Amino acid sequence: MKYPESAECRRLAALLEDALARERRLWKAPVFKNHRIQGTDISSFQHQDAILWMDELSQLFKFCPETFALGVSIFNRLLASVKAQQKYLRCIAITSLILAEKINEEDEVIASVKDFVNQSGCNFSTAEIVRMERIILDKLHWDLNTATAIDFIHIFHALVTSGQPRLPQRRHQREPFFHTALWIRQVQHCMACHQLSQFKGSTLALAIITLELERAAPDWFSVFTDLLKKAQVESVELIRCKETADELLSGQELTFPPNALYIFDGGSVARGHPELAPGGAWGRVSHAGRRRRSQAQRKEKDAAEYYDGFGCLYDQGVVPADIGGDPPGSYTPCPPLQPPVS
Amino acid sequence: MQSLRQAATEAFHRLGLKQRHLGYEELNDPADAPYSPEAQPHWFHTLQVRRLRVQRSRSNSDPMGGKNFENEFQWKTGLQFGTATSYLNLEKLGEGSYATVYKGISRINGHLVALKVIRMKTEEGIPFTAIREASLLKGLKHANIVLLHDIIHTRESLTFVFEYVQTDLAQYMTQHPGGLHSYNVRIFMFQLLRGLSYIHGRRILHRDLKPQNLLISYLGELKLADFGLARSKSIPSQTYSSEVVTLWYRPPDVLMGSTDYSTALDIWGAGCIFIEMLQGAPAFPGVADAFEQLQKIWAVLGVPTEETWPGVSELPNHKPEWFLPCEPQQFRNVWKRLGQLPYKTEDLAQLLLRPAPRDRIPAQDALLHPYFNTLPPPLMHLRDTVSIFKVPGVRLEAEARDIFSPGGRIKPSHTPLTKCW
Repeated sequence: MKYPESAECRRLAALLEDALARERRLWKAPVFKNHRIQGTDISSFQHQDAILWMDELSQLFKFCPETFALGVSIFNRLLASVKAQQKYLRCIAITSLILAEKINEEDEVIASVKDFVNQSGCNFSTAEIVRMERIILDKLHWDLNTATAIDFIHIFHALVTSGQPRLPQRRHQREPFFHTALWIRQVQHCMACHQLSQFKGSTLALAIITLELERAAPDWFSVFTDLLKKAQVESVELIRCKETADELLSGQELTFPPNALYIFDGGSVARGHPELAPGGAWGRVSHAGRRRRSQAQRKEKDAAEYYDGFGCLYDQGVVPADIGGDPPGSYTPCPPLQPPVS
Repeated sequence: MQSLRQAATEAFHRLGLKQRHLGYEELNDPADAPYSPEAQPHWFHTLQVRRLRVQRSRSNSDPMGGKNFENEFQWKTGLQFGTATSYLNLEKLGEGSYATVYKGISRINGHLVALKVIRMKTEEGIPFTAIREASLLKGLKHANIVLLHDIIHTRESLTFVFEYVQTDLAQYMTQHPGGLHSYNVRIFMFQLLRGLSYIHGRRILHRDLKPQNLLISYLGELKLADFGLARSKSIPSQTYSSEVVTLWYRPPDVLMGSTDYSTALDIWGAGCIFIEMLQGAPAFPGVADAFEQLQKIWAVLGVPTEETWPGVSELPNHKPEWFLPCEPQQFRNVWKRLGQLPYKTEDLAQLLLRPAPRDRIPAQDALLHPYFNTLPPPLMHLRDTVSIFKVPGVRLEAEARDIFSPGGRIKPSHTPLTKCW
């Protein structure tokens, strides 16, 4: 049974509306004054450092990006609601991530607080974390489930690819045009920046997408204005956010975490995964002690997403070869790669 | 006041609970809450059916048990939400895997409440089920979703205060065996799909639908409860645990190990509950394991092939050779009650119980199915928080059979909404 496209669009519009309402209700960011969070001894550098640490932890524990983003939102909301002391900053950070994990991750992925403490290398006791958990829940009235920048990336991506607003014809049909994996990575990167933490998730997500649209789509403006209207974002706010993000992201070539290890997987050549474009399967193993993925499917999906990300990097000229336009089934110099642990 | 104390004292004596204050028990000591290691896996009311038989015949129209609390009890002023002393604990309703549920009464406004006392593990902090349930319910305001009134969080204990709802669908079906009145099935089904449409529109999956988790008020209002396994989901399909959902209500794709399920997971559960309400017996009562569960399903829907379900052969546990070949059956030949009802009933059941998840009808579209045409049109345009029983002419019909009053039909309640809801 097929359902009409318009119904899907209506659903997406309702979803966006709901996400925006949740964000309006819950979003809060700490105010910085003289490079410190107002009324505290926490510097913007320490704030950024704590978020980068949360990013590190969430990769160590193989959390999905949504969990990290939710953790950061809890972290920022708490810092905006109470006057926290610098010595508790990391305790707040790790507890925010634990709360996000409990909400968002599957039961079998959820690490025990003890494991979390041991593997993260922080020197808090479980009692301290449990106490902080209670404080955060009480201060935020248990109302943690907000919409984050990552959620908005997914919604905008769905809107753009479902043709509402309709996007102009791609340059190459087979070229992966939208790369949520890279966008998500960019959002994660931007979330650590204290200037960008002043913007709502919807604004940040739209800014990142606009940067990409400007680069890649000749007729980006109509799409952009339509998204802007749908997302109810102020254009002045968006331009400020976009410029800051652009500065941050162009300052460094954003790639996947360093020291990634790739292993050739002959099996996937024969298998010919249809989801993956010509290059085959890509995977990534970071040096950090990784948790084994419980679901093989998740791994494959991730691989596809990472491939998308690489395709985008090629497109941006980080790697000169452009494999995007290759006809299906053609030979590429890059062998399909797979993580060594299954 | 006197009678309230007396009632509470009796309740505690009956349950063998320790009584620390005259007439009520404070909620701040979880050690007092009896805990049995073989707790019922699902918290709500599972003990109530048995007890109800001896205590009182269940009367939907009399939620206050015949007492007018308002006249006899002076509500204290200055009491606040969020503190244990604001609630009186009346009787234990049931025990679940991570909580014990008591019936209680709010001293702030006299409303009956369900107090879900969460067992805390000191090492792990607050159980993820509790955090998930509260943080999701905080954002959900709908007439067909159970309402979370208050959270009492002290150093030692955690209690969620829910609106009190008399019974659940499992008990209701036990009380009225042999299948429910077809009109009541329609309004229960409408409310179930209305609740699902609301949460699915927010990309939240319930993931644990079953009759025990559908609360039924004395008016017939149906409310989705127990969001401990629910989770919100962003657009691209992520992988979810395949260990959710009680086996009987689990769709074939998840039974075959699929983990990228979506809202269609809950739709299958709704379809099973639809059949169970009509038929008076579970649609696919597998006993042993996923294999037997699949066998029950294929016996009705036929073993799927790549033609009928593209992609089925790629599912991890797809083993067609294990099953005897069977052809799809007419639903009305399997579930006789469907044959006695207009064709559109069977049609809706078929749209809900499609083997391939992408073919299952979304909740929002199911609400527009001709099966619901006989309901008053204003039902389609209600605001989220408005109960369907606000629409004139919508009310529960008397069920044909009632184990509590076998002699004759009980009258459905026509009592207007009391202040308890």
